[in-house]
Amino acid sequence: MKRSLIFFVAGFLVLSTGAFANTQGTNTNTVSPTLAISATIQKAVQLTLSTGTTAGISHCAVAAGGGPPDYTMSFGNVDALAINNGSCNKFAPTTPGTTNAIYWSDYSLNPVYTSQATTAASTITAYVSANFAVPNISIVRTTTADQSTVPANAAAFTNMSTSAAAPDTIATAADMTAAGSGGTLNRFIGVGIAPTNGAAIGTGAQTATVTFTMTIQ
Amino acid sequence: MVRVRHHERTQPQPCSSHTKHGTAFVAGRVDSRTALIVPILICLLTVQPAAAQKLRLRQSPGGPAFAQLPAANYSMSFGTMNALGLGTPLAGVSVAALSNGALYFFTYQLTISGLAAGHKASVTVYVSTNFSHPAALVMENCPDTTACTTSSEYSVMSTSATAPSIIVAPPGVGNSTVTAGIGVFLPDNDGASAYTGTDTSTVTITATDLNTGTVIGTAVIFFNSPAETVQDAVQLTLSTATGGVTVSPAADFAMNFGNVNGLGIGPAAGLTTVAASGGVVYGTPYLLNPAFTDFTSTTGTLSVYASKTFAHAAVLHLDDSASSAGPYAAISVTAGAPTQITAAAHDRTSVTRYLGLFVSNVNGATAFTGTDNATLTFTMTVP
Repeated sequence: MKRSLIFFVAGFLVLSTGAFANTQGTNTNTVSPTLAISATIQKAVQLTLSTGTTAGISHCAVAAGGGPPDYTMSFGNVDALAINNGSCNKFAPTTPGTTNAIYWSDYSLNPVYTSQATTAASTITAYVSANFAVPNISIVRTTTADQSTVPANAAAFTNMSTSAAAPDTIATAADMTAAGSGGTLNRFIGVGIAPTNGAAIGTGAQTATVTFTMTIQ
Repeated sequence: MVRVRHHERTQPQPCSSHTKHGTAFVAGRVDSRTALIVPILICLLTVQPAAAQKLRLRQSPGGPAFAQLPAANYSMSFGTMNALGLGTPLAGVSVAALSNGALYFFTYQLTISGLAAGHKASVTVYVSTNFSHPAALVMENCPDTTACTTSSEYSVMSTSATAPSIIVAPPGVGNSTVTAGIGVFLPDNDGASAYTGTDTSTVTITATDLNTGTVIGTAVIFFNSPAETVQDAVQLTLSTATGGVTVSPAADFAMNFGNVNGLGIGPAAGLTTVAASGGVVYGTPYLLNPAFTDFTSTTGTLSVYASKTFAHAAVLHLDDSASSAGPYAAISVTAGAPTQITAAAHDRTSVTRYLGLFVSNVNGATAFTGTDNATLTFTMTVP
């Protein structure tokens, strides 16, 4: 009698519910399949430029270039005596015919970075990676490369580095820490027009390229 | 192979005291009073010789066994079935899961013998006693002109004795053995027509001599040993949605978001990104494919929870949304309070849902790079 009872119970269990996988079952009203999700997180950095917003001055538009170049900015018609107004701001030469006229604008740097274990030594640098083809025009930045206040005069500008190996640091580690990921850094850039004459000078549209590098470390 | 020869056992013969067995028994071993009883018993147990029967059924190779009953009857069973075709059917029975139910079927052999030279016979079949739940179980027939090994070769068996289904069509066959098939179709039934339980049916097969127009044999199959059993069934699968990340079969399914980052830069194929506070959500559509049958309810509930969270749960978590653009909401990590996807999942109607992977943009000591894994458990319940 005892053995028969054991067999009956076993048979009942087999017939009661059929579970063939987590995805299906019979004689039951619920089923619970699982989905394994995997992902690999990578560090990411992003540096974008945008039109400046500094109060009290005009802003040359930073336009998306579609890459390359990634962005474009035009100072318009310029001359060494600062007769033309250009597209935004200008400083007349301190000594006309001797010193450069400066056409300039502010712009914004927008650094963003994620999944970086350390950020305290981060920087943004810039250099002229493709200079103008003529000698009487040059890319300039504020004499203090990471200056964020409005420059006062033409003397507040100096030529930007043309060396990839020795670029200008336009955002120091302190600047980066203060801004943080997702912050905004205001900087100034322009073109210096030299009052030179002769066969080598150029007129007409001239272009140069500046390369910015953000390093998070 | 079991060879069933009902004709050799089930047809009673005219009885008399002149039978060979009876005569020998009376003369040699019993007294006169017993001699009157024993021949009668022997007569009752004697069956007709083979030559008189012209239709017999046999188990086909690989098919299920028939149990022979007296009087040209057979019994067998399709066993336990469900309209999703889940599980392993009875030995010798095949099952085909269809878009609207499941067909359980098997092949068997019909042997026609004893026809006069040049005569040919046709064979028909009909459901002589239908299931008590004809909406849940439908007997099907497959004629001898096909292999009867695929569901498309079967069609609903007639329930009319006067307009039966054809097994062997005219001009018929001579003395030979043909293979045919019998099936039971279980349509998807939910709601009022749902049925679970047991049921029985009887099928009658008739062979007719086409030259004389006379019935030369009849076989009856009782599908009652044991009774057919219909069970309810549920199934929930996941699959890839158009334009979404691949859902691959694993234990049970797997999805790889590939390389991700807190800025949403360069999402892999099938992923879109949606900005979120503190990071970004990588989203992908996927399909939930519910199927259920023989429930009184026509809808079920779908829910999900993270049964295994990411090891770096502060950096990664899983979100759910009804649309690609969001809003995405974090999926529950509690089995007892899962995130409900829908309370109105319908049988065989896929649900498109969006799975989001939130990636934090945190930097510093809590930042994480590398591979991490999580597991979602989906549950479908049909009340």
